[in-house]
Amino acid sequence: MTTFITRRILQTLAVIVILSYVCFYLMSLMPGDPVDMMVASNPKITAEDVARLKSLYGLDQPVYKRYASWMGSILQGDLGYSRTYRVPVQELMGPRLWNTFLLSAISLILSIAIAVPLGVLSALKPGSRTDYVVNLFSFGGISIPSFWLAIVLIILFAVKFPLLPAGGTQTIGAENMGFWADLKDRSIYLILPVLSLSIQQIGRFSRYTRSTMLEAMRNDFIRTARAKGLSRSTVIWQHGFRNALIPLITILALSFSGLFSGAILTETVFAYQGVGKLVYDSIIGNDYNVAMISFVISVSMVLLMNLVADILYGFADPRISYQ
Amino acid sequence: MSEMTMNEVEIETNQLSSKDRAELEKAQPMWKMVLTQFMDHKLAVTGAVIITIFMLIAIFAGTIQSITDIDPDAQNVGNRYLAPLTTAQVGQDVRETEIERFITENPEAADAVQKALVTKEIVAVAEADAIYELGAKETTEAISALQSLSLKEAAGLISLFKSFETFHLFGTDELGRDVFIRLVYGTRVSMGVGVLVAIASALIGLLIGSIAGFYGGLVDTVLMRVTDALLSLPHIPVLIVIAAIDMSKIPWLKAIISTSNESIFKMIIILCLFSWMSVARLVRGSILSIREREFVLAARTLGAKDSTIIVRHMFPNVIAPMLVAITLGVGESILFEAALSFLGLGIMPPTPSWGNMLNNAQELIYQAPFLAILPGLLIFLTTVSFNYLGDGLQDAIDPKAIRR
Repeated sequence: MTTFITRRILQTLAVIVILSYVCFYLMSLMPGDPVDMMVASNPKITAEDVARLKSLYGLDQPVYKRYASWMGSILQGDLGYSRTYRVPVQELMGPRLWNTFLLSAISLILSIAIAVPLGVLSALKPGSRTDYVVNLFSFGGISIPSFWLAIVLIILFAVKFPLLPAGGTQTIGAENMGFWADLKDRSIYLILPVLSLSIQQIGRFSRYTRSTMLEAMRNDFIRTARAKGLSRSTVIWQHGFRNALIPLITILALSFSGLFSGAILTETVFAYQGVGKLVYDSIIGNDYNVAMISFVISVSMVLLMNLVADILYGFADPRISYQ
Repeated sequence: MSEMTMNEVEIETNQLSSKDRAELEKAQPMWKMVLTQFMDHKLAVTGAVIITIFMLIAIFAGTIQSITDIDPDAQNVGNRYLAPLTTAQVGQDVRETEIERFITENPEAADAVQKALVTKEIVAVAEADAIYELGAKETTEAISALQSLSLKEAAGLISLFKSFETFHLFGTDELGRDVFIRLVYGTRVSMGVGVLVAIASALIGLLIGSIAGFYGGLVDTVLMRVTDALLSLPHIPVLIVIAAIDMSKIPWLKAIISTSNESIFKMIIILCLFSWMSVARLVRGSILSIREREFVLAARTLGAKDSTIIVRHMFPNVIAPMLVAITLGVGESILFEAALSFLGLGIMPPTPSWGNMLNNAQELIYQAPFLAILPGLLIFLTTVSFNYLGDGLQDAIDPKAIRR
């Protein structure tokens, strides 16, 4: 077990390092570099000045050397400075990460709370009307473009019936009105983003729950449990669902990347100030330091969650042995 | 039926005609069984029908344009955000230029019409201004006036006046372009990208999966680690980073990419890079089990090359699950293309795609909410159809599901 965990951690680290290098290289392929941006609004600058500036910032060096020096300063705790926001990147990341965490965690909990009962319900009566409706709903959920759903929700609940804010994270000044007012304000802003992010997850989870539950209920021990006269709910939850839970953990782990992908789109549509929007805005706005850091941090988060789920998987199912 | 005894079954079979019995005794070919099974899945059949309709629209987009006679790029700034099912009139300035051109191109016809207009007292101005005066009127009124002349020279002018009036089934967008014809062309782009990406990534996955599965060992470990790593990445942020790069900075790609097709070409490459993994894992799994089968051993004993064994003996066995993967992949690719175009990083305007039509529409939800509804509805319909089609195919192909 220990060797397995160490190996997985090393693998994850390797993926993160390789990915950050690839990303660094790709950023160098984006149109324009920091010095080009700087001199674009200054017609008096000469070619010598540009060359001098480029060598001052090390932009004339090959990519791998620039990557090494960038990595060096990261390891010393210097994340760089944001060109657009005019603050050090550290100050930018904290609240953004918290916002995205809130959005994804609430949406994940909500989708599990809705999808698992739906999936179990339809698995218990395969072919029934309930199963049919749940199936229809989950296919719709998987296929619906989340950003379009977000726009439709805005049109419905902010334009036609102005009940909820069309976008943003919180009302300006609300954080000074006391804890409860602040909480209420923020939750009002979260309703539509959480809704649009959850529909797809609900569709996916309920489908997987259905199929794993069907598989679990086909086992011999279910028949044994029924035969020895256990109550229906004990059979379903203690014997059936507990076994269906194991593959569900894997699905949950794989869903983190989908959740974060969805969060980027949702945050962009709702102008919700999270990491996803930061990744998008900084890449569009050529804010290289922010783009690199926010991208690497968010992807590392997803990979770490996968790692945790992998390890949990081992604890959930003692039959699995790791070499 | 369950209480039917052997005797009754025999009686029932005896009642069948000899032709029917011959039919029963003949083994059903694979595709027939799959088809029968597939037809049972009502929603999958519906999906297949919808996909066929969209495919036809995509293929015949040019024909639809020539029938409706609307240019997808024609802008009409005077008629922005028109509601669906409205008729738009071309602005005065455009009419005057068009009439002027008509007069210089067909002086005789124009002369005859001008004379007739004045003598019949339809307009009360000088002969030279008669047609312009008519142009200032409502188009329908002007056309009926022209028709009342019953002159054969007026035919050209009537068709010109008719073109001043355009009917917009789904209204117009922020530049006054017709939404219907743009959706038709968007179907071509979105479906084209989806299908191409699904097929190309299935081929990549087939290659990588079969190499990994067939050779095993170190090759397998390396390839599968890469696959797993790519699979665990969140797609949209990675796609955003790649979509933002300037591909002409990469030397070997410079030659193939031109500015006109860059965004579509780029889109296909990017999506292919990140959608082959599931096919690769699927193929590897099947190849691993096929590798141990007797017919592979037989082929090897007969001296077949590795490539022959893989291509001739293994590929036919993975075609069925791959078909399912391709179908599901099309839906997914359409969603990803739409998401990237929606973020402004995919298909670049003026080329219409469902995603980039939504990109513009998001800023206009107050002025023209209908602009945001239709493209998304089409994306949803197509994806749901492909997902149901894939589901139906899976049920039909999977031998465990066949009730014999």
